[in-house]
Amino acid sequence: MNIKINYKKIEHERLKKTASVNYSSDSTAHTEALPPPRLIGGGALMRLLYPVRFYLLSCALLSAVGAAAGLAPYIAIAEISRLVIARPIIDTSINEIWFLVFIGCSGASLRLFSVFISSRIGHYADARTLHEIRTKLVAHLGILPLGWFLFTGSGAIKKAMINDLEEMHQLIAHALGEVIGATIAIVVGFGYLLYVDPRMACISISVIVLMAICFQIAMRSISIHMSRLTIAEGKISAASVEYADGITVVKTYNTGGILLDRFAAAVDEHTKAMLAWVLETRYSSTLSRLLGSEMTILGVVMVTGLFFVYNDSLSMANLLPFFIVGIGLPTSIVPAIHGTQGIRKGRVSASNIENILNKKPIHQAEDKTTPEEYQIEFDKVSFSYDGVNNAITELSFICEPGTITALVGPSGAGKSTIANLLPRFYDVDKGAIRIGGIDVRSMSSKTLLSSMSLVFQSIALLRDSILENIRIGRPDASLEEVVNAAKAAQIHDVIEGLPEGYNTLIDGSGGRLSGGEKQRLTIARAILSKAPIVILDEATASLDPDSETAVQNALAELIIGKAVLVIAHRLHTIASANQILVLKDGQLVEKGTHMNLLNASGLYSRMWNAQTEGVKS
Amino acid sequence: MIKRLYKLWPSSGILARLTLLHTFLAILQGLLLGLLFPILKALLKAKPDFGEAEPWLKIGAVGLIIYLIITAIALPIGFDASMKLSAQLRHHLMTHVTRLPLGWFTGNNKTKLARILTADVGKIGTLAVTIGAPAITSVLVPITIIFITFIFNWQIALIFLAILPFAYFTLQRAARVSSEAEIELDDAATEIAGRAIELGQAQPVLRAAGQGVTGTYRMRHALEEHHRVYKKGLGRSAVPDLMYTGVVMSGFIIVLIFGSFQLINGRILIAEAVALLILAVRFLEPLGALIELIGALRAMDNSIARVQSILDINSLPKPANPVLEIKNSSILFSDVTFSYEGKTTTLTDISFSCPPGSTTALVGPSGSGKTTIIRLIARFYDINSGSIRIGGVDVRDYDNEVLLNDIAIIFQDVYLFDASIEENLLIAKPNATRAELEIAATDACLHEVISRLPNGWNSKVGEAGAQLSGGERQRVSIARAFLKKSKIILIDEASSALDPENERSIAQAINNLAKDSTRTVIVIAHRPTTLAAADQVVSLDNGKVVELGSPEALRTSDGSFAKLFQQYEKARDWHM
Repeated sequence: MNIKINYKKIEHERLKKTASVNYSSDSTAHTEALPPPRLIGGGALMRLLYPVRFYLLSCALLSAVGAAAGLAPYIAIAEISRLVIARPIIDTSINEIWFLVFIGCSGASLRLFSVFISSRIGHYADARTLHEIRTKLVAHLGILPLGWFLFTGSGAIKKAMINDLEEMHQLIAHALGEVIGATIAIVVGFGYLLYVDPRMACISISVIVLMAICFQIAMRSISIHMSRLTIAEGKISAASVEYADGITVVKTYNTGGILLDRFAAAVDEHTKAMLAWVLETRYSSTLSRLLGSEMTILGVVMVTGLFFVYNDSLSMANLLPFFIVGIGLPTSIVPAIHGTQGIRKGRVSASNIENILNKKPIHQAEDKTTPEEYQIEFDKVSFSYDGVNNAITELSFICEPGTITALVGPSGAGKSTIANLLPRFYDVDKGAIRIGGIDVRSMSSKTLLSSMSLVFQSIALLRDSILENIRIGRPDASLEEVVNAAKAAQIHDVIEGLPEGYNTLIDGSGGRLSGGEKQRLTIARAILSKAPIVILDEATASLDPDSETAVQNALAELIIGKAVLVIAHRLHTIASANQILVLKDGQLVEKGTHMNLLNASGLYSRMWNAQTEGVKS
Repeated sequence: MIKRLYKLWPSSGILARLTLLHTFLAILQGLLLGLLFPILKALLKAKPDFGEAEPWLKIGAVGLIIYLIITAIALPIGFDASMKLSAQLRHHLMTHVTRLPLGWFTGNNKTKLARILTADVGKIGTLAVTIGAPAITSVLVPITIIFITFIFNWQIALIFLAILPFAYFTLQRAARVSSEAEIELDDAATEIAGRAIELGQAQPVLRAAGQGVTGTYRMRHALEEHHRVYKKGLGRSAVPDLMYTGVVMSGFIIVLIFGSFQLINGRILIAEAVALLILAVRFLEPLGALIELIGALRAMDNSIARVQSILDINSLPKPANPVLEIKNSSILFSDVTFSYEGKTTTLTDISFSCPPGSTTALVGPSGSGKTTIIRLIARFYDINSGSIRIGGVDVRDYDNEVLLNDIAIIFQDVYLFDASIEENLLIAKPNATRAELEIAATDACLHEVISRLPNGWNSKVGEAGAQLSGGERQRVSIARAFLKKSKIILIDEASSALDPENERSIAQAINNLAKDSTRTVIVIAHRPTTLAAADQVVSLDNGKVVELGSPEALRTSDGSFAKLFQQYEKARDWHM
């Protein structure tokens, strides 16, 4: 037990850190900079744990009982020793001995059961809290502005739902009981020793207190060192990834040296960072470890105790409890240290979770109006992401049902912003966007979103069967309708070719399907939904030519009779659109049909010429 | 596990020293506790006999000082070991990885490697030290105490001894059950993690379907499932968990009762009884702590297994007498059959020949084996049967460096290092002159890109070349090929839509590459212009060659190539 104290805490911290350095963007890029202020998240924690407060109370109570009972056998042994030494064994003392044995045994059993039950209750409370908070998170995410998802990314959601809740788990299921148990154990143990001999008790406890002080000193700079180590680990990871990513270049050009040097440097830096920490705290940590050793206590008790015995100021009988209960004191303090750490982390996590739960939801309309027709109207729309620079300024246009409106322009012109504003990923700053004359802000998100199909470069598939992935476009659709949609999207044959056909499960990355096939799946979904508005944002840009044709055919099916808003790189694909809006720096600079715009010899015609020249040569 | 731990490191000296140190400490601790017997015997007489206790006290004092000194020494040694072990293992792993066949470096494996190099190695390094020491203490202190107890009271010693097997088996069982429960819970959490990602990505779809607030039924199910698995795991591990602690506790109770019984009946001296009870506490306490270490030991075991899984991968066999020069740039496939490990056959009986200086286009639907052919020429993998010859010599007979030295591969995903454009080119030829660089850049149509960048040749390309577009990166890699003057160029043409300007430049650059009459070019072609410029076309489907000939001949033959060609042209002309 003794060996673990400061050591294990440090390593514990370090391991936790290591685990949180994740090598993809999906995780904590902003690993919680260790929180110095003690109160961070305290309130959040209380609020999140409120529903399980009775569980936690009984858990704490039982831990306390368990800890106190756990000392009973030690105290019983100590008392038996005192008893038999103080006077010779006679009949009455035999009864007393058996009574003490009984107390010891009951204490042991009581401890066993109360700790066990306390841990159970803690875990059940934990299971319930995890479930409830997760459900709450899902529900709250469902009403946040969609734009939040674009910037925050799914990684943050995952972090809240997994990593943060795991820290909470540590807190609920372990830390709380540990801290309370350890505190009670020390208090009761110390109390008993005080009763036996106050002098000796104070000497014993002072060793523990000294140890705790040294420990605090050893840990004073933990956050600085931890963050340096975290950065170093990040570098090791990055260097290994860089090497692996560039491996073909490395091998074909025989230039591994530079990269391996970077890797070696990263490993060195990590070692150095560790070393710096170890050196800085070498005295305090060694001292705290020595003081926390039960052998040290044994030595201290032995030397001072025998000195008092020699002076006749202490009886041997009263020294014995210090060998039995006193030596055990350091063992109690370890869980207390782990526990306080767990509680601190739990608080940080709780505030992370609450941050999400407190994010302002998008304003939901009371009036659930459904438009009767689906003309898209942008009326003097201005929008800015940062509140300073407008991404769109005073933009107005109308897209009639059954027509195609193409958005073209250099990158950064605001095309994608328009595609994001219509489904209300964000709310406009000025002006209004209307569908069939109704402001999008006065429609429910279900009405609004189910009126349009979004076919973007990033493909949103569910980790579900192919059937369900298509059917989510219109949950009440029959199998036949799903198959028809798949046929129209030219994906039916591919699906039939899979071993489990429409029941094939799609994993996170889409598994066996190619990019073009996944895109067609989302188009099938869109076709099935019969949504009267279609928004296409560079839908085919990332596809290979083999899939491109099929996707193009699927798109042709999809857009029949719809109000279509399309963003395209290659101008010839939209040459026959009913109207082409040419954007630059968030403003509409030209508008018209292909022929009109060519004749106008403006930005569009310059772009067109540049592209056609390219293709022909 | 200990054996596997030692196997990991090329030199396990540090680990051995550390183990020895802690073994010594644990035994010393047991012995020091054993000294309580004679000391208490002397001091618990009616009048404490300090004279009799003195020698024992002196031995104890010396022992304790040694113990404390070694403990103080062991701490820095432990830290040092933990650092060294991690660093050593990291270097060892990385050195091993550099020898692995190129085919090993898939996206998954790269992520795995990064994870293992940081998290797992770190874990092993620290746990070997932090958990190793208490584990040794928890096992050896009780065992030493048993030996000492045998000297003074064999009955109690037997009770101690009898507890051990029970403790061992219940501990094993508890560890097994909780590990099973943990795996199930992990799976459930992974499922939720996946659903959480999906929730973010598919939010608009979910809202359109009215499932924004509730989540999909699968999401709800995943949450329920986690809750259920959690509770089930709790139920299952309840008894085993209780059992181990129960065994230790019962041991304690038995010793307490038996000791008291002997004491009352006068079978043992009071001093002995007291010493025995104290030792009993010291015997059982470390045992009780063992269950807390089990989880960490298991985590370490898993990490060791993951590290070992990388160390176990073999590099490609080396030829006994490697050929050190490529005579000419002809490429010959004869009856090549190949399958990726454990998968169905990817290529079947592929035969074709590329004379030196020719350009061959590989075409076919995705999954037809085009990329595999390119990888096999550069020996990313070894084939199952048949042979691939370059300049008349089997690729397996070349020294691997020599082989790769004469091959330039231009991938779709070109990887650039986070350095300037110039440095990225110099990788191909470190001693290239300014003039050579300029020529290579011109031939690769890269000049226009360089002149556009703020710092010209010195412009940084960003991490993985992020500052450049995909087409521009590809031109950098073509320039490298020019600079290296490779005899064989393998190109995986960018398949996704490039902007017209890039497309034109790359086509031009590839043409320039092919002009050299000693250079053999194999290109996975997606564009009609590239196809038309090839000397021959190998048309693949499902891992087999279905057509072979000149592009003109194949276009008019009405076969699969003709269809593909039309499809490519159609895709380009498509409009709404």
